[in-house]
Amino acid sequence: MRPVSLRFVYATLVGLVLAGIVHIAAVLVIPGLSEADAVSRARTSENLDHPQSIYTVATGDDPSPPEAWLPIPDPAVAVGVCAYNLADGPMRVSARTGPLSLSLAAHARRGAFYAVTDQAAVRGALDLVILTRAQYDEALADDDENDPSRDVRIVAPDARGFVVVRVIAGLPSQRPAANAAVQAVSCTTDTPSDDAPAGKDASGKDASGRGAGR
Amino acid sequence: MKLTIPDAFGRTSAFAGAPRRGAGRFVLRLWRKSSVAGLAAYTLALGAVLGLASADWATSGGYPFGGVQVGAWTAWPRAGAANADPYTRAVNARRGEIPLAVGEGLLLTAAADESGQALDAACTYQIGGATPPARAWTITVAGRGPRDPGRAPLREGFTSTEVLRTADGRFAITLAPDVQPGNWLPSPRATGPVRLALRLYDTPVAASVGSLDRSSVPAITRLGCAP
Repeated sequence: MRPVSLRFVYATLVGLVLAGIVHIAAVLVIPGLSEADAVSRARTSENLDHPQSIYTVATGDDPSPPEAWLPIPDPAVAVGVCAYNLADGPMRVSARTGPLSLSLAAHARRGAFYAVTDQAAVRGALDLVILTRAQYDEALADDDENDPSRDVRIVAPDARGFVVVRVIAGLPSQRPAANAAVQAVSCTTDTPSDDAPAGKDASGKDASGRGAGR
Repeated sequence: MKLTIPDAFGRTSAFAGAPRRGAGRFVLRLWRKSSVAGLAAYTLALGAVLGLASADWATSGGYPFGGVQVGAWTAWPRAGAANADPYTRAVNARRGEIPLAVGEGLLLTAAADESGQALDAACTYQIGGATPPARAWTITVAGRGPRDPGRAPLREGFTSTEVLRTADGRFAITLAPDVQPGNWLPSPRATGPVRLALRLYDTPVAASVGSLDRSSVPAITRLGCAP
């Protein structure tokens, strides 16, 4: 009897150690396997050139639409997401500042890696370019020394992720404007140059033109 | 380290018995004989069930770690950071949450009042005082179960712009089931727990939560409870 119970205790101990290993492995694996996480859900907005609204604040008698998937949304903040896939080229997010406070945050699978509010805007415009390390080096090499680009360039840790646009409506009367302000942000993919010299030239001109114009 | 050797041995013997393991009687017979295969199956089942159940429990619901207690509130400065702990990232992934990044703002939640008693929808609370410096803030009733369908959605929260203030810039919000003068925040349901969320937008304290103290966040005091 005694050896049996000893073996049983031993097996239980090994089982508990195994449980610990399984627990740690499961917690570490969840973010990668999750189908419901923000990066996977935002992917539907990849082809849009404006943010996909994921939480529109209620205006008047219209309640917030049920497609909102934020678990605990702030009822006074309109939220939109732009998913990016840097394999298609760098992602450019352009926002014009308005009367409402606006913030942009870039997220990847591991979490947010950059955030900026409209207080950092230069002459009323906020231009964010999200690129990979290689694209960043290329953009740096293509820069015109006399007319440097005014884009804020951020190197993303992964090729996939999304940019969150949040606009705060301080008063109920500002809510329609907040919903509109989210939609007014543009998220475009800077198309990679097909034929190297012409494309590079065009993209360089485009970037400097934007900087000077705003 | 000692435990891994018999563990590996147990695994192989379990695989040898795997085709027949589905038959309960066989396992039972093995169990009675308390053979190595039976013990190994028991060990593996214990590890898998306990491990998966505890992982599920830890990552469903709120963030298990990373909160900084400030008065009645708990601040979550790292919830949206790239170096958040694995549990926080798992919780975010499971809920599809997009947490506030450090440069964007700071989320504080409260599930209990100043004296440590859980917030109850049947009670009346005063939420008042000062807020940490921020460009804008919102105080909202957040979650823990669905709203009462019979209850009209009057108001879910206050923003820093719309809240009524006294002459010295302080404010007092009354969370109550019945209509109140001043800043009335209706209880979301007749009974049950309530959670409050304070979101600070564009705030310098997101990067230095340690600088927050009890006097810089709104106090939550219980005024009374409906019988």
